[in-house]
Amino acid sequence: MIEYREFLYLAVTLCALAAVMSRNMLTAAISLAATSIGVALVLFDFRAPWAAVFELSVCAGLITVLFISAVSLLRKEEPFFAEDRTRFRLLPVFALIVAIGGWIAGWPFFEALADYARFGARGQSLGSMLWESRRMDLLGQIAMLAAGVLVINSVFAAKKAGK
Amino acid sequence: MNGSFATAWYFAALLFFIGLYCMAASRNLLRQLIGLEVMSKGTLLALIASGAMSNLSLAQAVIITMIVIEVVVVAAGLTLLVKAYRTNGGVDVWKLSSLKG
Repeated sequence: MIEYREFLYLAVTLCALAAVMSRNMLTAAISLAATSIGVALVLFDFRAPWAAVFELSVCAGLITVLFISAVSLLRKEEPFFAEDRTRFRLLPVFALIVAIGGWIAGWPFFEALADYARFGARGQSLGSMLWESRRMDLLGQIAMLAAGVLVINSVFAAKKAGK
Repeated sequence: MNGSFATAWYFAALLFFIGLYCMAASRNLLRQLIGLEVMSKGTLLALIASGAMSNLSLAQAVIITMIVIEVVVVAAGLTLLVKAYRTNGGVDVWKLSSLKG
């Protein structure tokens, strides 16, 4: 009998396949949003609500809006650029080969990895973890956000200067 | 518990492969970004499965950092994509040869 979490994993994998294989970019962006929603449900199931809320609002919301706006800007492109679809039609076959190979060869490796995962078990709340132990991560996040704003700003400023 | 961890890592590896294949097989920059996103979803699954066994708060903190960085990477990537489209008239990576020596 298939469990709820395994059903979610299957749904996430199928949505990812749909996102990669769909011919239309808008469908791909929406399938990617569905993948994010599936991952957020997995996070809720793992009792990680903060990460799930971030995933749901940022990945399923903001990134989808970014993708859809980019697709709408590139709408004229599609008729002029037809990719070779054979590679994408072969993807389920390759994915099946990897799935069977992983089932046979990868499973003992993943089970051995669980011993390493138990290594750093210490109970702390998310707030104290984020603000006390991982303060450098927060600084890194601020630096990354500033870098992102700088990239977007510089690209559009260069366009104005070019005019 | 081990079975749940191994299942999560199994599907994470599968997702990572799908994203990697998309990035390698496609010439369209937008599709490559979608592949990158799928790869990051696989990484996220692996992270949360590891965190559930050891320290969930740490895993959540790392995942939140990862999501923020992901957004910045996607926003910068899409900006560069639109810029490349306006400059070269296409999103084909093979056409990005203006800096070729």
